[in-house]
Amino acid sequence: MKAFDYVAPRDLGAAVALLAEHGASAKILAGGTDLLVELEAAARVPKVVVDVSRLKELKGIAVTDGGLRIGAASTHNEIMRSPDLRNLFPALVEAAHTIGAVQTRNLGTLAGNLVTCVPSMDSGPALLALEAEVGIMSPRGAKRMPLAELFVRPRKTSLKPDEILTEIVIPKANLGKPSAFLKFGLRKGQALALVNVGVAAWIKKDCFVAPRIALGAVAPTVMRATRAEAFLDGKKVSEEAMAEAGRIAATEAKPISDFRASADYRRDLIETLTKRALATAVARAQQSAKEAVA
Amino acid sequence: MIDVTVTINGVPRKASVPAETTLLKLLREHFMLTGSKLGCDVGDCGACTVIVDGKPVNSCLMLAAQVDGREVITIEGVGKREHLHPIQKMFEEAGAVQCGFCGPGVIMSAKALLDEKPDPSVADIRDALSGNLCRCTGYTKMIEAVQDAARILRGETAAKPRQLELSK
Ligand SMILES: Cc1cc2nc3c(=O)[nH]c(=O)nc-3n(C[C@H](O)[C@H](O)[C@H](O)COP(=O)(O)OP(=O)(O)OC[C@H]3O[C@@H](n4cnc5c(N)ncnc54)[C@H](O)[C@@H]3O)c2cc1C
Repeated sequence: MKAFDYVAPRDLGAAVALLAEHGASAKILAGGTDLLVELEAAARVPKVVVDVSRLKELKGIAVTDGGLRIGAASTHNEIMRSPDLRNLFPALVEAAHTIGAVQTRNLGTLAGNLVTCVPSMDSGPALLALEAEVGIMSPRGAKRMPLAELFVRPRKTSLKPDEILTEIVIPKANLGKPSAFLKFGLRKGQALALVNVGVAAWIKKDCFVAPRIALGAVAPTVMRATRAEAFLDGKKVSEEAMAEAGRIAATEAKPISDFRASADYRRDLIETLTKRALATAVARAQQSAKEAVA
Repeated sequence: MIDVTVTINGVPRKASVPAETTLLKLLREHFMLTGSKLGCDVGDCGACTVIVDGKPVNSCLMLAAQVDGREVITIEGVGKREHLHPIQKMFEEAGAVQCGFCGPGVIMSAKALLDEKPDPSVADIRDALSGNLCRCTGYTKMIEAVQDAARILRGETAAKPRQLELSK
């Protein structure tokens, strides 16, 4: 690696001050599982690397007044172990479990996964399906926006160099909304997604209410399949309805052919994974309805 | 240069290194702990696995500066030649090591698993070792070795006797 300076600010305020001072010549470091791989081979490196991985303000997973707050520097392993997430948002736990292997999950963070912004990111679909929002801090103060507005194109987010992602929030209205995540890779371990799917839906009187379907690795950024969602909204739960939603979702995506898989194969995967993820979310909804009665 | 104070295998150590130094480089080239191997240097192979504050990580994907104030365990802290750790002993007995290059990383992953979960299922073991690539022995014998080591560490009778006599 080429030489750079390293600073571990003591708190978020100090981190923001460093970014204000260094602007585009600074780079935020969290788990390093994307950044250090990139810097290893890079011809140009940042002047200063600002390590946010141990900032308390970016840690912790808890239900708050505003919803379920996930500190941006939570590792995938912390996400997998969070009782609140396991209980309220299993899709994100499932997604975290498919990221790399144990060693990568102990280092890699949720913010790092979202900000690297590759189309195959595994945290994206589950969070989009739950309509997550992100909290951002910069020298201009704190702001909040929908996660969808973070993604611009492959490896490009809307963040400015001096903006730090501080938290990811699942809005209160979506807490406990039945969700599921499925990923298909060439192997079970250490494989990027050919396609990944996150879904969430309320089931009321045996009908889909406000279904959300998000797809990864099949477009320049993680995307919502809004036509499939509109088709499913209000429909009675059935195999056929879920299969049709999968077929529609496949027509909305814009997959590419590459050395991992052809576009046609990816479209087939979207159909199948969407259908299966919906069925899992429905089963979860029925299970929690049963538990509520018991 | 960055000053790092870190506990390695129970011993407090200090170093002053360039900021871009990885933890793996700190261990191998500064402290001469060459048990952790440099394989891919990009987090894929797991040969550099060490335990930081109880968690297995790729030491090639951490900066030395990031372990300041932390506790690191490397393969050198697990057992000694004259006094092998049960995981190491069972790897030897099961024939889970051929060329041996991946061994230190695999054993660190196995140790982190057994420290936390003394009675893991085969699925747990596979998950725990999924970040360690072996290109000669294969994984079956490793999984058996981890199961045997778990039994010993739980104080149950040692490994099941193996039928290795190939003659007859
Ligand atoms: C072997 C291996 C396997 C992998 N497998 C998968 C996989 O299966 N699925 C998958 O999705 N990913 C995978 N990855 C990619 C990577 O592990 C994840 O994307 C991880 O979540 C990145 O997080 P990090 O904390 O390590 O990010 P870093 O490398 O520290 O940072 C990544 C980027 O995010 C920026 N950043 C980090 N934190 C913040 C913040 N708080 N605010 C603003 N910007 C920030 C950094 O500046 C940098 O641009 C794999 C990586 C490796 C090495």
